[in-house]
Amino acid sequence: EFIQQNEDRDGIRFTWNVWPSSRIEATRLVVPLVSLYQPLKERPDLPPIQYEPVLCTRNTCRAVLNPMCQVDYRAKLWVCNFCFQRNPFPPQYAAISEQHQPAELIANFSTIEYTITRAQSMPPIFLLVVDTCLDEEELCALKDSLQTSLSLMPQNALVGLITFGRMVQIHELGTEGMYKCFVFKGTKDLTGKQIQEQLAIGRVNAPNPQQRQGAPTPQPPAHRFLQPVKQCDMALTDLLSELDRDPWPLGVGKRPLRSSGVALSLAVGLLEVTYPNTGARVMLFLGGPCSQGPGQVVNDELKQPIRSHHDIHKDNAKYMKKAIKHYEALSLRAATNGHAIDIYSCALDQTGLMEMKQCCNSTGGHMVMGDSFNSSLFKQTFQRVFAKDQKGDYKMAFNGTLEVKCSRELKITGAIGSCVSLNVKGPCVSDQEVGMGNTCQWKMCTFTPSTTMAIFFEVVNQHTAPVPQGGRGCVQLITQYQHSSGQRRVRVTTAARNWGDAAVNLQHISAGFDQEAAAVVMARLVVYRAEQEDGPDVLRWLDRMLIRLCQKFGEYAKDDPNSFRLSENFSLYPQFMYHLRRSQFLQVFNNSPDETTFYRHMLMREDLTQSLIMIQPILYSYSFGGPPEPVLLDTSSIQPDRILLMDTFFQILIYHGETIAQWRALRYQDMAEYESFAQLLRAPIDDAQEILQSRFPVPRYIDTEHGGSQARFLLSKVNPSQTHNNMYAYGGAMPIPSADGGAPVLTDDVSLQVFMEHLKKLAVSSTA
Amino acid sequence: DLLQCKQILPGYPEDPPEIRLGHQFAESPNCSPEVFRCTVNKIPETNSLLQKSRLPLGILIHPFKDLNHLPVIQCTSIVRCRACRTYINPFVYFVDAKRWKCNLCYRVNDLPEEFQYDPVSKSYGDPSRRPEIKSATIEFIAPSEYMLRPPQPAVYLFLLDVSQIARESGYLQVVCDTLKSNLNKLPGDARTQIGFICYDAHIHYYLMSDGLTRPKEMTVLDIEDIFLPSPESLLVNLGEHDDLIKELLTILPQRYSAPGVPASALGAALQAAYKLMAPTGGRITVFQTCLPNVGPGALQSREDPNARSSKDVAHLNPATDFYKRLALDCSGAQVAVDLFLLSSQYCDLATLSGMSKFSAGSLYHIPLFRAQRSWQADQLRHMFTRYLTRKIGFEAVLRVRCTRGVSVHTFHGNFFVRSTDLLSLPNVSPDAGFGMQLIIEESLADLQQVCFQAALLYTSSKGERRIRVHTLALPTTNTLPDVLHSADQECIIGLLSKMAVDRCSSASMSEAKEALINAAVDVLSAHRLAQNLPVGSASSSLHAPVSLKLLPLYILGLLKRKALRTGTSTRLDERVADMCFIKSAPLCAVMRGVYPDLYALHDLHEHVRRDKDNLVLPNPPRLQLTAERINITGAYLLDDGDSMIIYVSHGVSPAFLSETFGVASFNQLPDEARSLPMLENEGSELLHAFVDKLNDDRPYPSSLLILRDNSASRQLFTERLIEDRVESALSYYEFLQHVKTQVK
Ligand SMILES: [Zn+2]
Ligand SMILES: [Zn+2]
Repeated sequence: EFIQQNEDRDGIRFTWNVWPSSRIEATRLVVPLVSLYQPLKERPDLPPIQYEPVLCTRNTCRAVLNPMCQVDYRAKLWVCNFCFQRNPFPPQYAAISEQHQPAELIANFSTIEYTITRAQSMPPIFLLVVDTCLDEEELCALKDSLQTSLSLMPQNALVGLITFGRMVQIHELGTEGMYKCFVFKGTKDLTGKQIQEQLAIGRVNAPNPQQRQGAPTPQPPAHRFLQPVKQCDMALTDLLSELDRDPWPLGVGKRPLRSSGVALSLAVGLLEVTYPNTGARVMLFLGGPCSQGPGQVVNDELKQPIRSHHDIHKDNAKYMKKAIKHYEALSLRAATNGHAIDIYSCALDQTGLMEMKQCCNSTGGHMVMGDSFNSSLFKQTFQRVFAKDQKGDYKMAFNGTLEVKCSRELKITGAIGSCVSLNVKGPCVSDQEVGMGNTCQWKMCTFTPSTTMAIFFEVVNQHTAPVPQGGRGCVQLITQYQHSSGQRRVRVTTAARNWGDAAVNLQHISAGFDQEAAAVVMARLVVYRAEQEDGPDVLRWLDRMLIRLCQKFGEYAKDDPNSFRLSENFSLYPQFMYHLRRSQFLQVFNNSPDETTFYRHMLMREDLTQSLIMIQPILYSYSFGGPPEPVLLDTSSIQPDRILLMDTFFQILIYHGETIAQWRALRYQDMAEYESFAQLLRAPIDDAQEILQSRFPVPRYIDTEHGGSQARFLLSKVNPSQTHNNMYAYGGAMPIPSADGGAPVLTDDVSLQVFMEHLKKLAVSSTA
Repeated sequence: DLLQCKQILPGYPEDPPEIRLGHQFAESPNCSPEVFRCTVNKIPETNSLLQKSRLPLGILIHPFKDLNHLPVIQCTSIVRCRACRTYINPFVYFVDAKRWKCNLCYRVNDLPEEFQYDPVSKSYGDPSRRPEIKSATIEFIAPSEYMLRPPQPAVYLFLLDVSQIARESGYLQVVCDTLKSNLNKLPGDARTQIGFICYDAHIHYYLMSDGLTRPKEMTVLDIEDIFLPSPESLLVNLGEHDDLIKELLTILPQRYSAPGVPASALGAALQAAYKLMAPTGGRITVFQTCLPNVGPGALQSREDPNARSSKDVAHLNPATDFYKRLALDCSGAQVAVDLFLLSSQYCDLATLSGMSKFSAGSLYHIPLFRAQRSWQADQLRHMFTRYLTRKIGFEAVLRVRCTRGVSVHTFHGNFFVRSTDLLSLPNVSPDAGFGMQLIIEESLADLQQVCFQAALLYTSSKGERRIRVHTLALPTTNTLPDVLHSADQECIIGLLSKMAVDRCSSASMSEAKEALINAAVDVLSAHRLAQNLPVGSASSSLHAPVSLKLLPLYILGLLKRKALRTGTSTRLDERVADMCFIKSAPLCAVMRGVYPDLYALHDLHEHVRRDKDNLVLPNPPRLQLTAERINITGAYLLDDGDSMIIYVSHGVSPAFLSETFGVASFNQLPDEARSLPMLENEGSELLHAFVDKLNDDRPYPSSLLILRDNSASRQLFTERLIEDRVESALSYYEFLQHVKTQVK
């Protein structure tokens, strides 16, 4: 309840809600101290505050005045709860008193948002980068969606258009009399400086001494390419409607020459030289892999398929490393300037998301993967990019920085999320690094209310000098960003938790364990590791962590597995880990590298609730017997007279049991006397619609039944408690000594029960 | 005696010496001298005789001249000599009814049966009734074996300079307007295509695809590595995209009226044009206003304005072979490049002209062009209209065959020599002339006649493969006086002028001029020898044969024209433009520039004749180009082909002034007027009729300039009085004196 309250108010969850008072105790807790934070959590109740935050005057601190500060109302002083500096209130606070407090001192406003009115308001920028190597139907559908998006964008937003195929075109908007575009070769990269010079944006060419002096050189402004929607929507509508498929002839057995690498580079370069450090998003619409030039992921020979996990594993992916390098460099440039990159990839085959992933991961941009631009998955997802909240504001923020401050007893080891490090060192920064570390600030070029950052801390106090009992540690998260209205805003969340001495009172600490937060954090950690290295080591590490946690917090008699017990707030954790191990995040070989990339991308940014669904899908069962009920993600839940609704975040699946499917085939639902059956059929569909309506990106919707080919999606997720393998599965599930000796490994495709048995065995073992 | 003959110029032009063939061919139709002529109308039998005559031997051809009566025939097989591929012609010998003997190689060939068939009477009969035998100029519609590929469509690409200077000149409006109003007159058929490229520091293409409501500009910034931004719709069908094209021509001048960048990437634009045109072939028309200064083919100014009047002239050769190489690529792809140079500054035409020279293109030059000067805009409009609407032949080759024993050793004109006697002409225009120098390799003693045959194979704008064949037959002679008396002095000047231009670039200006003077000396020496006269230094007189009496005068004229004059300030580009003109213009145009026609206007009504419809036509005699002929009570017209200058002396009668110009007195006469008022009186109408008549025989009307004799610009007129002495050059009399001392 306490956890829920905090989450609702501050958008924050900690893995541990009572903090261990010394370094050594902290490490022994196995799961690190981490906060999952949603910087933009929807808070319609927040008061509008039009002044600037009051900062601690200590130069190395600069923490923001918050409800945890001690205030001396008579002396008009406040004590910083991070560095204990006594600060005078600024003159405009002269009238405060205990009865007359500013909002930021009220306990309920541990999260508060300031609007900086003196900052220049900048409309957001949308730069559309459109693949034209599509077939007619795909291109038409995409053009429709783009046309629609013009009406969805903020009307003061600046918008620009780049199209590409074999060449890349940057379109000028609103040229009088004639539309104009600049055409670039898809095989030649340009630096921002070259773009600036060649497009003559913002700079005058040195006059040629041979030519007449004094002739005025025109200085065309950048707005030739980026114009307010309301001014250029006619032009853009025209341009889009006249947009044709890439006209270059396609040889037999060839892929189109697609220059996404250069197109993206030009987009990044254009924004870099025109609107640095301003909220902007490049929206790349991609219908296939980049097949030439920088960023190429495949060549144009159709007979050579794009790399698979197998190829990567065998170091047989010829273009991969160079492409990754290209896109990483672009991501960094974009992120440095506060620009986000969205990739909307719609194709039956892979498009190279794996190589391009940093573009979205580093900048917070969306990664959307679909089969077709003509699918409702794409169309609705794309519309939802422009969704608005209850107040009518767009649910997207731009060019944000998240700064974290913490009590002296803590240091920041890093962050995992859709961001880049700003490399700002400070007294709060640890030498250790987890995720993106060595900084207390991160750039989030764009983020939404569901965007969640995992911030890792370590306790620095030595065992010999633990934090005194009864004290509280504080963490302050300051997010500065460009609101979709153009305003500069600062959101400040200050959270405090009690210290506890694990050596003395472990129960106190364990009671503060948030197993959901821990599962999500471990998922991010293990995926972050998996992105750097591949193979069984990652799984082994995850297993080891689980076993150690069980050893630490389980109650058991040594070497007696049957005695093993976990308290309630740990009980679900092993199950989360079981499903995580089996998930597409870690078991990659059934998916393409692009799919893996996409799944991992979502896991690394979504909020806790959604992340848990990804880790352990939710299963509801519908029957005549009563209202739908959540059931175990287990084969035992698959019953002939039930309808199941499974939500894996990426898929919404409705499964009709054998009997139900037969009835449905016989069309009982159409008969008046079986109205209740019709209702039963409708119920999960209605519920599915509700999920489909609210989620981003729109999940794949699957309607299947017993024996249906798509039932495999369900079967791959449920715990195989009843399979024909069970009778001899035990052998395969035995702990297998690993090559380096000693460390136990659990084999993959075992049931949860078998997994638990082995876990218990290992946890209680005195030798493991 | 030239020294005694003050009035040496005949009042009316005289025909070249008559060609008299042996009795068998005495009645045979010979080729018109306007199309085909030789420096001598009797060919010396031996090279040594030719050497004795000291005359240059050569032919001038105007192969695609607009003709009023051109027999065109279509037949399944074209009759040609099996050995040397000569086309059957009026000068072949019919051995019998079934065989003919080639007049170039003397092989006896079978006559196909259908040759005797007369399509008019639908009967078999005398082969000499065939048009091939009855006309020395004939055109065949070629059967398919004359095609290497299907005949290409007419494809026109316009390259428009939109640099800062180009915008200042305002030319684009004139060009776009003119083109817009002549679009439907462009030669071509339903396949005709058209396209546009503008260039400044970058290359701008214009996409005119089907789905577009208006043209779209596609700009390529990278001029070092040029490429086409679209595989299609940069060249579009003229008929199907009429609206888009007109729209573009309307938009372009406005679009490029604002200040631009002082950069011109002509080289890159040409590379782009080549890429665009290479698959089909066709015509590239370049409008350039400044020195190309960026990208490939960028040039630097080489002209020293202080050296414009110096004795020797530097930088007549190209600074880079970029434009030549490009032209050769174009030629290989059947693309010709025509250049309109509308410069206000030095553009290094010596280098740029390579693009036209080697691709068989044309070259037009309007120095110091400004569209605000309406006469220049008019001049451009006339020039460009003629250019757009004149006949055009595509993917052409010109082959010249000579009777065995005579061969061609040097060609003059704009072309690429593909093999010894074959000129590659991606485009051929009715305004293009060619010259060939000949040598006599073997004795022609046993021949009655020598023949030359020029065959031009081309694709008409309607997509027909055609062959135009001109055959010229000349008798031979074994005596020096015969050779000298048959000399065609105008043709000689035509050839000498081309040789002189070559000499300027291969040696030097002074050597070229020296050689011209020597040509006069040589001919008169040969005459002295033939007539057994005393050497010049020992004589008080200087004798010349009648046929060559104007040669020294013409040579003096040649020495004083822009191409070759020294001592008078001459812009390098204008000099080079004149040189290019000399090399590639037909003889009549060259001659008008060598020795302009001067007429008196104040007594025009005294020189009229009536045509067959009894209309009064002005027909004044020509005057010699000397101030002696200029009366202070007169008014004169000087016509050099390029321009007509009307020069009004201050003493001219008020009646003439009011009749002609509508002013009461000389002082009211506007100075440097550019047009002649159209007044309703006999004198004015007569003068207009006269100017119109003069304009009749040239591709487009000459520009008009009216000067008063006290005008600041009067030297424009007086410098053309070439018989008079100017500061830096001899008078005709002095020139003759100089020649006389040299005659040996
Ligand atoms: Zn502080
Ligand atoms: Zn022959």
